[in-house]
Amino acid sequence: MRNAERAEAQTCVTGREDSVVTSERSRAGTKEWIARHSYNVRICHWINVIACGYLLVSGIHIFLDFPELYWGHTGYQGYPAIFKLSDWGISWDDAGAMGNRMWGRNYHFTFAWVFLINGLMYVGWNMVTGQFRDRMLPRRDELTLVNLRADLRDHLRWLARKRTSTTSYGTLQKTSYLLLIFVFVPLLTLTGLAQSPGFTAAMPALLDMFGGRQSARSLHTIGTVLLVLFVVVHVLEVLAAGAFNRVRSMITGKHPLPEEGL
Amino acid sequence: MSKTKTMPTLDLGARPRRVSRRALLSSVPALGGLLLTGCSRDTFVPPMVRGGLIGIADVLTMSTNRLLLSGQPLAREYQPSDIAPDFPTWGQTNPRDEKYQRLLRAGFADWRLPVSGLVERPLSLSLDDIKRLPSRTQITAHVCEQGWSAIAQWTGAPLLQVLNAAGGVTSGARYVVLDTVDGWYEGIDMFEVVHPQTILAYRMNGDDLPIGNGAPLRLRLERQCGYKNLKFLKSIQVVDSMADFGKGTGGINSDWGFHWYAGV
Ligand code: HEM
Repeated sequence: MRNAERAEAQTCVTGREDSVVTSERSRAGTKEWIARHSYNVRICHWINVIACGYLLVSGIHIFLDFPELYWGHTGYQGYPAIFKLSDWGISWDDAGAMGNRMWGRNYHFTFAWVFLINGLMYVGWNMVTGQFRDRMLPRRDELTLVNLRADLRDHLRWLARKRTSTTSYGTLQKTSYLLLIFVFVPLLTLTGLAQSPGFTAAMPALLDMFGGRQSARSLHTIGTVLLVLFVVVHVLEVLAAGAFNRVRSMITGKHPLPEEGL
Repeated sequence: MSKTKTMPTLDLGARPRRVSRRALLSSVPALGGLLLTGCSRDTFVPPMVRGGLIGIADVLTMSTNRLLLSGQPLAREYQPSDIAPDFPTWGQTNPRDEKYQRLLRAGFADWRLPVSGLVERPLSLSLDDIKRLPSRTQITAHVCEQGWSAIAQWTGAPLLQVLNAAGGVTSGARYVVLDTVDGWYEGIDMFEVVHPQTILAYRMNGDDLPIGNGAPLRLRLERQCGYKNLKFLKSIQVVDSMADFGKGTGGINSDWGFHWYAGV
């Protein structure tokens, strides 16, 4: 146990072939284990899942109370909309009856803080320890067309396991995490802030960046849909790679080494 | 408060010491403003902090906003061409209050706005009195917490000028409480009171304020959500605590459970 913890610091999905392998006979017979995820990544990941869950549900509540989207600075009931929930069979009144913007706003802004602080802690720790570079930056030799094509093909054939070894993330996996963390989440956060009258008074550039408050609201909503799609694919990938072992490793940190030595 | 003072005259030249000092503080750029207004808890914390995680988030939101706004920047002002064709009228659009209807029929000639509480010279202003105060015109976006936003031009007297007309605030003044004809009220803190865009508007898009938008006088608080921008103003009072109003949260919207600081 001690050994495994000590080893963990160096071995979590490092992508290095020489990862230390520890055996934990006392608990799991003769199974061999590798430390896959550090404390920081595990704690932050699950806090993030809770925060995202609350953000999504509360965000839906807020949206339902005004179920139309517009472009530019201006938008209100009767103004030309780019999206109307009523076009999809849910009338304004029905939507309003489902949504509770007071509850929604209270929890959205609360869990936005949880999401932000947790995210900054996660990014900070991974930056300082060089983990993003070691675990997520694709190596030169990974970024060949041949490898990327093979990676994609295997994913499409439900063979994520083949591309993500016990000791390292796959190339597409790495790339999607990096894009999510450094491009997508910052943009989603900024489109949120660009809707705040206080924040935009301090930083009017945000209004120009997204073309106005209503554009920011629309982009925030579209971004949310994309994030939900990310999570759907993310969870499907976990299933494809072996849900039990992968999720267990995200909880306990440890992942069994497969007999065939993938 | 001085007892020897006679009935108020609209002494606009003399800025009362306390308010002007605050106004001065708020005009100091970011760092100075931060240090100076930093002395006041009111700038960073709502009158009543809610329990649990939500309360922590409220304080985080308000204090980060106030730090970022410590230089008191103006909210974005737009071009006349940005003005919305038909600005929505939401919530109360024509108070049934009998007295209000009577005043309305008389073109608000007998309408008065009492300014009371912690001011040097409590007084009652007619609409014409308010229109004679220095005015400010601004084209701004009304951001409703429901999700909509619309741009309009507002003309009104800065709240600070209205308080000046009452001789300025006296010591201990922390919040300005605005009451409306239909029973709403909101307290706003001095950080917002001294802001140049915080005006009591009597004109919208060049015309008298329409009934649906709060005639004859409404608050514009451009850096906070719509629900803080009370329509149909009835009176203002300056107080040292919000504890005795409603549930003590500082406003009717926060009594219901919305954020008191509505900069989000
Ligand atoms: C119920 C929902 C979720 C489950 C079951 C889940 C499961 C997992 C698992 C098992 C891993 C490890 C993958 C591996 O070892 O190869 C992982 C990693 C990751 N997940 Fe999730 N996840 C969920 C939701 C989310 C959400 C909502 C986000 C972000 C919005 C997210 C972002 C990430 C990231 C960035 C990583 C890589 C972390 C790192 O290595 O530093 N996940 N997830």
